[in-house]
Amino acid sequence: MSLVEAPPAIGAGIDRVDGARKTAGAAAYPSDFDVHGQAHAALLQSTVAAGRITAIDTAEAEAAPGVLTVITHRNTPRLPDGPATDIGTSPPAPLQDERILHHGQHVAVVVAETREQAVAATRLIKVTYDASEPVTRFDDPRAERVDDPWGMDSERGAVEEALASADVKVSATYTTPDNTNNPLGLFATLAVWDRNTLTVHDTTQWPTMARATLAKVFDVPESAVRVLAPYVGGAFGSGLRVWQHVILTVLAARMTGRPVKLVLTRPQMFTSVGHRPSGVQHITIGAKRSGELVAIDHRSTSSVAMEDDDFEPLAASSAVAYACPSVITRDGQVRLNISNPTSMRAPAEGQGNFALESAFDELAHTLGIDPLELRLRNYAERHPVSGMPWSSKALRECYEAGAERFGWSRRDPAPRSMRDGDELIGYGMAGVGYPWYAVPCRARATVNADGSAFVRSAATDIGTGTYTVMTQVSADVLGIALDRVRFDLGDSDMPPSPQAGGSGLTGALATAVRDACLGVVRRVLDLVSEDAGSPLRGCALEDVIVGNGRIHRRDRPDEGESYADILTRHGRQEMTVDGASAPGDPSALGMAFAGAFGAKFVEVRVDADLGVIRVARVVSAIDGGRILNEKTARSQIIGGTVGGIGQALFEETVTDARTGRIANATFGDYLIPVNADVADLDVLFVGEPDRATPLGTKGVGEIGLVGVAAAIANAVHHATGIRIRSLPITLDELL
Amino acid sequence: MLPFDYARATDVDEAVNLLAADTNASYLAGGTTQLDLMKDGVLAPERLVDITRLPMRGITRDDDGLHVAALTTMEELAADSTVVEDFPLVRQALLLGASTQLRNMATIGGNLLQRARCRYFRDPGVAECNKREPGSGCAAVADSARMHAILGVSERCVALHASDLAVALVALDAVVHLQGMSGRRSVPLTQFYREARTSPDVENVLVHGELITGVTIPFLPATATSGYLKVRDRASYEFALASAAVALVTQDGTIGQARVALGGVGSKPWRSLEAEQVLTDAPANEETFREAAAAAVQGAWTLPGTAFKVELAQRTLVRALRNISGVAQ
Repeated sequence: MSLVEAPPAIGAGIDRVDGARKTAGAAAYPSDFDVHGQAHAALLQSTVAAGRITAIDTAEAEAAPGVLTVITHRNTPRLPDGPATDIGTSPPAPLQDERILHHGQHVAVVVAETREQAVAATRLIKVTYDASEPVTRFDDPRAERVDDPWGMDSERGAVEEALASADVKVSATYTTPDNTNNPLGLFATLAVWDRNTLTVHDTTQWPTMARATLAKVFDVPESAVRVLAPYVGGAFGSGLRVWQHVILTVLAARMTGRPVKLVLTRPQMFTSVGHRPSGVQHITIGAKRSGELVAIDHRSTSSVAMEDDDFEPLAASSAVAYACPSVITRDGQVRLNISNPTSMRAPAEGQGNFALESAFDELAHTLGIDPLELRLRNYAERHPVSGMPWSSKALRECYEAGAERFGWSRRDPAPRSMRDGDELIGYGMAGVGYPWYAVPCRARATVNADGSAFVRSAATDIGTGTYTVMTQVSADVLGIALDRVRFDLGDSDMPPSPQAGGSGLTGALATAVRDACLGVVRRVLDLVSEDAGSPLRGCALEDVIVGNGRIHRRDRPDEGESYADILTRHGRQEMTVDGASAPGDPSALGMAFAGAFGAKFVEVRVDADLGVIRVARVVSAIDGGRILNEKTARSQIIGGTVGGIGQALFEETVTDARTGRIANATFGDYLIPVNADVADLDVLFVGEPDRATPLGTKGVGEIGLVGVAAAIANAVHHATGIRIRSLPITLDELL
Repeated sequence: MLPFDYARATDVDEAVNLLAADTNASYLAGGTTQLDLMKDGVLAPERLVDITRLPMRGITRDDDGLHVAALTTMEELAADSTVVEDFPLVRQALLLGASTQLRNMATIGGNLLQRARCRYFRDPGVAECNKREPGSGCAAVADSARMHAILGVSERCVALHASDLAVALVALDAVVHLQGMSGRRSVPLTQFYREARTSPDVENVLVHGELITGVTIPFLPATATSGYLKVRDRASYEFALASAAVALVTQDGTIGQARVALGGVGSKPWRSLEAEQVLTDAPANEETFREAAAAAVQGAWTLPGTAFKVELAQRTLVRALRNISGVAQ
């Protein structure tokens, strides 16, 4: 199979195969689906953050025009929670009792003939609360603290002693606010029961998990549930769980005997589908005068809901970021009366890197060493904990190529030293190592008698390019032209796939797709093993190469046959084979599995009087292993960078401490970067295929975001001399 | 659904009569504020009187200035050749004030009547709002955020008047023309708005049924320089944290006439006669500008979240004056 080693489609920056469909409006997102006879649901949410419902009067709503039913905790059946997943528990079942745990909690669902009737009727429901004072602050003495929730705290060396004897120390506290994922696509669910089978169109990053959850909650076999998500209008992590509104929509459909559709409103998106939790991080770094690190002490606390969980070990990655003999990382959570956080693009890493790489810049400034040079002096050539060589690591090349492209050498190290008229100019940078993540995956490949191929898996493409990239992998492994290959996803009836998350899908899915496609070639060779006239008779997989819809002998490349000829001769309509992938075992391979690495270089312009901050340009140098599609990968990095600019300068979900209400739950009030804020974003890929995976890929879905906030904060310090340790960085802090 | 009647008026008299006869009726023009507030449950008029077909379009000029009919869209006004040539202040405020899509829908009359962008006012789930429910209190004061106003406000209400255009127009001494049941009248825009500290729920002098039919914008002296500066977190599509509309007539380094208005800081578009007084007959230099800026924010009432606006507004004003006067820092 030589073509896998020298692939024509893999790596090429081909256009998205779904691009034309999306541009033409032909791609159906979850909110686009309608079925005959459907009813519409609308949610009523709590206006207090803690306490209990003492009375709920639904009579007027039930009598309102078009209303079919009103669902509250009083008529909701006891529902079990969904199953635990690889990344945590399911959200607790909704409407199970009268308790209120956060502002914006669903307290009732109205089902009506039209959406407008349902929304109007929610305003007729009278809820009486016995409200109590919510716990909304980290420093509230009533706030329950959870230490080491994930068992990931780490310690090596002797941090206390090393810090005591360090030539130089920096120690600071960094804070990051709640951020809301805010995909453009409003989350939507359409639930259709047909006797005891359930079909659900849903905004999800993980149909396989959604199926398992709905089957358990509604006590039906998984085979009776089908979850569809062919297109998802973004998610950034908020589609990794089966949220309560999904359960409520399915429940409403069962209670009314009608298909039911629910589309969240934008304000509801702020409390219903997760957010990046606020965090407080304390970091102390000790170093020798030479810049050599002696110790890192990184401790974090982030917020979580009262009765749910979230995976946010902000400090954990600091254990492996640099060659440093003594490191402590500690992560904890406090339980607040807030809606539950969830993964938001680069969960934990996005916040933790901001603190570590800001502190590193402070150390460089204190030592009088160039920030880039300081990172190189502490470069982790081997995995700092296991001591094993990395499966791939081109972070040094990221630093070098990024610095060259950016013009880092033009930086005058003195803060406030570079100026253009009213604008102070700042250069800042940060390094990133994204954790490796892999999970099992399955895929199915079919080659048809007409020579076309159909490959599928229950994955999702949340805008990342999965459709396109997997089409490329299938085409290359099968040796069939791109336009003769269809890759499909977003259907839980397809072979199970992991989530589009953790920067892990491309590696897991591409490997499974490759396995399935190789299986097809193998089975087609089996077909001709007894064919006296076939030039491929007796050939094993190793003996052939593929291309142009044909299989050829490796030793005599001009001899071969097409898939179409072989299948037709054997009277086969098609050949279908399932494939699978599973995470490798690092110790068996004797190497530390690496995720992507990156170096971020940023120029900011800060108005010297007005404090207005604008990002002038960003250079991202990325080691993503083998890049399967240069164009979609570049788009991933650009999109991540925009998210990083938002995290750095704009995004903050403001919760009123007194009431627990989110004060800015609209796109007019919650700022994300607009086009005018996104200037020149340059991306370059460096490095080699990773040695630990068959295709050599490393996920690039999140590395684009990480490091941008620190690089901007460092650039703002360079421009102004003001160190901002709290995100977002806003002009009022620079006046 | 929240049922409401819809009527389309064909002339101004009919529109005024329709509204005057029904205390629960509202006018509907571009709808960019009205419909949002209805969807959010903040406003629930029982009848909307659509005035978009009224003959209140077009821009004319004479010696008194520019006459802008009320249904002229923001985009039409921004593109008007007289505005482009003689009213850079107005054009800049319009272009910085809204996206093209909004400018194509929103009318000049409607822009002047846009409601507060306060998220507490705009969420009926918040019980305390003196603007929605007089006497209920102000949740925004208790939970301070940075978008609120600092001038013309008090603990009763800190809501911001977020228009950019109106800031430019108060600086230019624009006059609004009204028609109601008791006839026509004209009101200087500087006297059109009321401050939140005195009447959170009553934002202007309109009586029920009174309709803005047009606005007259007098010319500045031919030698005047003017400009609008808007400061905000992101580069576009955000209300001002602070803005300044300024005009100066300067001769031999001395300021003869000055106009100053601030946005992003007031419960109404904030004309500052105090700043103008400092500027008039004073040398056009940084020191004068700073003194004028200090005068402009006299009486600011701040919350922890809005305290920075006192400084930001001054710096914004100084920069705006410097930009139009050519004075080096």
